Amino acid sequence: MTAVERPSIDTAAQYRGGAFAVEHVSHEYVSAGKRTPALADASFTIPAGHVCCVVGPSGCGKSTLLGLAAGLMAPSSGRLVWDGEVVRLGPNKHIGMAFQQPGLFPWLTVLQNVAIGLRTRGSARREARRIAEEFLVTVGLGDFQDAYPSQLSGGMAQRVGIARALALQPRMLLLDEPFAAVDAFTRLKLQQELLALLRRYRPTVIFVTHDVAEAIAVGDMIVVMSARPARVLRIIPVDAADRNRASAAFAHKLGETLECLGVTQ
Amino acid sequence: MRAQRSPRAQAWLLGCAGVLVALAIWTLLAQWLATGGGVINRLPPPWRVLRDLVAYASGELWRDLLFSLRVFTIGWVLGATSATLVGLTLGRVPMLGNVLIPVIEAIRPVSSIAWVPLSIVWFGFGLTSKVFLVGLAVFLVVIVYAIDGSRRIPHDLERTATMLGMSGWQRFRALVLPGTLTEVLIGSRVALMAGWGTVIVAELVAADSGLGAHLIAVQQSYNVPAVMATMLCFALTGFLMNAAFARIEQRLMPWRHDVDRP
Amino acid sequence: MKVRDRLLLPLVGVLAVLAVWQMTVILYRLPVIVLPPPLDVALALVRLLGTHAFWRDVGTSLFEFGSGYAIGVLLGIAIGVAIGESRTFRLASTPVVESLRFIVPFAWIPLTILWFGTSYTGKIALVAYAVFFVMVISTSRSIAAVDPTLSRVGISLGMGRLQLAWNVHLRAAAPTIASAARAAAAIGWIAVVAAEYIGASAGLGLMITNAASSLATPVVIAGMIVIGLVGAGVSALIGWLARLKLDYR
Repeated sequence: MTAVERPSIDTAAQYRGGAFAVEHVSHEYVSAGKRTPALADASFTIPAGHVCCVVGPSGCGKSTLLGLAAGLMAPSSGRLVWDGEVVRLGPNKHIGMAFQQPGLFPWLTVLQNVAIGLRTRGSARREARRIAEEFLVTVGLGDFQDAYPSQLSGGMAQRVGIARALALQPRMLLLDEPFAAVDAFTRLKLQQELLALLRRYRPTVIFVTHDVAEAIAVGDMIVVMSARPARVLRIIPVDAADRNRASAAFAHKLGETLECLGVTQ
Repeated sequence: MRAQRSPRAQAWLLGCAGVLVALAIWTLLAQWLATGGGVINRLPPPWRVLRDLVAYASGELWRDLLFSLRVFTIGWVLGATSATLVGLTLGRVPMLGNVLIPVIEAIRPVSSIAWVPLSIVWFGFGLTSKVFLVGLAVFLVVIVYAIDGSRRIPHDLERTATMLGMSGWQRFRALVLPGTLTEVLIGSRVALMAGWGTVIVAELVAADSGLGAHLIAVQQSYNVPAVMATMLCFALTGFLMNAAFARIEQRLMPWRHDVDRP
Repeated sequence: MKVRDRLLLPLVGVLAVLAVWQMTVILYRLPVIVLPPPLDVALALVRLLGTHAFWRDVGTSLFEFGSGYAIGVLLGIAIGVAIGESRTFRLASTPVVESLRFIVPFAWIPLTILWFGTSYTGKIALVAYAVFFVMVISTSRSIAAVDPTLSRVGISLGMGRLQLAWNVHLRAAAPTIASAARAAAAIGWIAVVAAEYIGASAGLGLMITNAASSLATPVVIAGMIVIGLVGAGVSALIGWLARLKLDYR
């Protein structure tokens, strides 16, 4: 990643995220009279400013967890607690989200895309542009401010998506398989960049992924979930030593997680 | 948590509610205007229209309908057939195609309605004139489908045909013709409404026979309920034809989904 | 295809058609009443352009079209958005909208004559109706078809329903709505002309019908060409406007 100047916002103190607790949360979808269970009695706690990676088989309910954490849905039972307060239904100013498809608005430039979240939350136009510009520079896309999303590669678009989420200066960041649609090399690069960004801004993060290696590289803890209906199988802590992909510790952690998922090597 | 009705039941209920609301608004408007409300001083309530519809149906409707349908069918068949032939030719003979297709593209946007006065000069007010107009309308719609269909043979099918050593005629029969006919069938359904709409305009102008003629007649005798009843007949016929044709298309080509439905 | 081909071949096509036309007139010795030679039509057209009455007629038709179009487009988009945004509203209004769709604009002509006489109000109402239906149906469909990811992004950025509809859904659906607006223009224009054939006191359609009654065929054909040209012009104008502001593709 290219070197960047310190943005004018005081980062570390300002939006260090609070602790996030999932307490006996179950959720099921009801449609046309059929009930589809998604989560079954999930419980775990994320310490403040930590990155929690949620791994599990496809379609097991990981995205549901994110939706509940964001306040987009109310859990069928149980509750989610953010920084001491129960998560309520509705938009939440402290949360930023990024998805697998960056979902950039094709009619806006890159800069306008990053700025629009700030605008809808009430920032003045000039202020929004300034902040957006800073975050774009942070993700290394300062030269592409006036480009349109159709002109960007997948990796670049994803960076814009993350910049957009971070520009809101969220205290909690929810990432739903953000690098899944990107090629392997770009994915490795983006993981490193994300790590650096998170160290700088320190929100509390829930990072959903199906790539276990990615979870170890980025996370402070791994929540392993079962197939649908998703239960928490195990919570595996990760420390700095494990992140080096060339190390034995990494391989050990990988094996442990995969075994938990039921995949033997 | 609220009990969830099945989506279909919900759609039905809401749809019926919508229709009832529309009818209620209509009745209220008719009431209000009857007491000298506004510009539209003759708006009969729904039941009057229904009564006239029933009266028409037990009387001359079928004769008029037959006339209109006759005009429509002949025009539609002629239009679709000629469009298929011309489309095939223009699509497969590049020299003719490159020269004439731009001309057709230029004429297409000009609806066949623009040809009504010319048609009257040429053919007068009779059957020929109306059939010409309907045929023209259908032709202009189907021709695009015919040209597209005759040209759009998937590349790998062409290669397979070459590999199998098919002659020009065999290739035509096995590849070009079915592809073209499929597209023409779809285009012919799209052309249904264009053709049926042209029938009404032609009959409104000619005013000699058919639903359109009846429409003019009741308009001239200021019989608003009858006018609305006739409009309903016209719409209903169009709807039924469309539904019938869609079903036929579904049976013949089950792999195509109906592009018209939401 | 080379640019030369794109220009040359259509030109050849037009010339070929004109040649066939001229030949047919000569070979079959067709009287002017039936099929006038191309030159006669051209002369009639030029002569028309010099008369005051012609421009007044075209102006009347354009005025009727323009007013009806503006009303139809605005109402159509507004209600189309409402239908696209609200599932309840959509389900309730679908049967009504879908059935009214089958009453083609032309079928309304006698009714508008009954209600409004041959004045321009009736024509404006007719065009507004025709345009409204095209716009309502295509707008509601394209709003409903907006990529759900964009909606999700909007919600995650904290947009309310109104903001979402205006900032995201409408902008995303804009190109489709713009092409529908072009199609609606074609339909609206022909609706005006058709209405003027059947009952009008002024306008292009009336002028052509009068010419047809007096068997002035060159004028009739010239009039048809004018119909086509104006229609094309209006379509092109709307397309250009749309591309300017709305089309991000």
